[in-house]
Amino acid sequence: MSTHEELKANAAGYVLGSLDPEERRAFESHLAGCAECSAEVASWRPVVGALATAVPQVTPRAELRGRILSSAAGARTGAHLHDRKSRAALTWLPLAAAIVIAVGAALYVARLQRQMGELQARFDQAQSTTAVLAAPDLARIDLQGQPVAPDARARALWSRSRGLVFTAANLPPAPAGKAYQVWVVTAQAPISAGLLTPDSNGVGTQYYMTPADIAPPVAVAVTLEPAGGVPAPSGERYLIGMP
Amino acid sequence: MWLLAAIARLQPAAESQAEDESGLRRIASGDQGAAAGLYDRHARPLYSLILRILGNETEAEDVLQDVFAQAFRQAARYDSRRGAVAAWLLTIARSRAIDRVRARRTRVDAPNAEMQTLDEMPDVQPDAASTMLDQERARLVRQALGELPMLQRMAIELAYYEGLSHSEIAERLEQPLGTVKTRIRLGLLKLRDVLTEGRA
Repeated sequence: MSTHEELKANAAGYVLGSLDPEERRAFESHLAGCAECSAEVASWRPVVGALATAVPQVTPRAELRGRILSSAAGARTGAHLHDRKSRAALTWLPLAAAIVIAVGAALYVARLQRQMGELQARFDQAQSTTAVLAAPDLARIDLQGQPVAPDARARALWSRSRGLVFTAANLPPAPAGKAYQVWVVTAQAPISAGLLTPDSNGVGTQYYMTPADIAPPVAVAVTLEPAGGVPAPSGERYLIGMP
Repeated sequence: MWLLAAIARLQPAAESQAEDESGLRRIASGDQGAAAGLYDRHARPLYSLILRILGNETEAEDVLQDVFAQAFRQAARYDSRRGAVAAWLLTIARSRAIDRVRARRTRVDAPNAEMQTLDEMPDVQPDAASTMLDQERARLVRQALGELPMLQRMAIELAYYEGLSHSEIAERLEQPLGTVKTRIRLGLLKLRDVLTEGRA
C-alpha cells in the first residue's frame, strides 16, 4: 500500500503521462479524494503544457483548414468562415503595435531569431537523439579503447530508420590540427559518420544521420584524423567495437 | 531584461481564452461557425506538436483532423477549471499522437525513414508580433531543457515526446526505475522554476 507522500511524488509523472499503467490507476484513485495531490497535479500542468509549445513551430498546409472545417460542419459549406481569421488578426493589432513602438522591435526580433536559430540547432540534436533511443530497431554497439587510449570507452546506438547516437568517454584531447572521426564499418567499406569533439573531460555525445540503405555495420570505430576529417580512415585507431 | 518581463506580464492568453470558451459553447450548441476561429488560433501549435511526435507530415495531418473532430464533438465537456482551451487541445493532440506512435512501435514492420523529416523541419517562423511572447516562452523552455543534465532531459523527452513509460525509459537509458523517476521530477522542477521566474 503506497503512502500519500509516495503517491504525491507521482503527480509530475502523471501529468507528463509517463506512469506505468498500475501506478497510474493507483494515483488516479487516490487523486479523486486528495485535495493536496489535486493541487500538485494542477501545479504541473503549465510545465507540461510548456513542453508542448516548446517544439519547432510549423504551419500546416493551407488545404488542411478546409478539409478539417468542412468535415466538422458536415454538409455545411462554411463560405463565410474566412472572415473570422482577419478578425482574430485585428484583435492582436493593438498589442502588436504597442510592442513595436515600445522597443524598436526589429532589433529585438533579429536577436531573438538568432538566439532561436542557435537553440533550434541544439534542440534538433536532442530531438534526434531521443528519437534514436526510442527507435523500434535500436541496436547497441559498445566500443573498447585501443592501446593508444586503453581507458577510452564508447557506445553507439544505431537505428537504421533514425540514425546513430554516439557517446564516448575518457578520450584524450585531440592534438592541434587533429580531430576524432567516427566510422560505421560495413562489409563493403568504412563510412564516415562524422567528427566527434570531446569536451575537456574527454566526453562527447553526437547524433549522426546514417543512410537508410546502409549495409549492416560489422563494426564502429573512432580514429584520429587531420582536422576536418578524411574520406577514408587513415589515422590511429582509438576505439573499436563490434555488434 | 525589463522588456521580457513586460511582455510576459501582458497575459496574452486571457483574450484568446475568452474567445475560445465562447467558441466551444457555440460549437456545443450546434453552431459550427465557431469552428474556424478555433482552428485559426490553434492549428499551428497543435500541428507542430503532433509533427514533433510523429515526424511525418501525412500522419500529422490525419491526427490534427482527429484532434479537431474530437474537440468539436466534446466541446460541451470542456471544463475551464481544469485549464485553458489551448492546454486542453494540446493534451488531446499529444495523447492522439502518442497513441499512434505506440501503435507504430508495436508493429513488426515499423516503417523506415519516417523520422528523417525531423531534420528537414522548417525552423521556427517568428514572423508575427502576436506570437512573440509565445516564442519567448518557448525559447525559455528550450533553453532550460538544453541546460538540464543530459539524462534528465532525455528522460523527460522520452516520456513526453515519445510516450515511453517510466519502466520503458529505465530500460532504454539503462538506469534503475527509481533513478528515472527522480530525474524526471528534478528536471520538471527546474522547468517549473524557469517558467515561474519568466512570469515574475
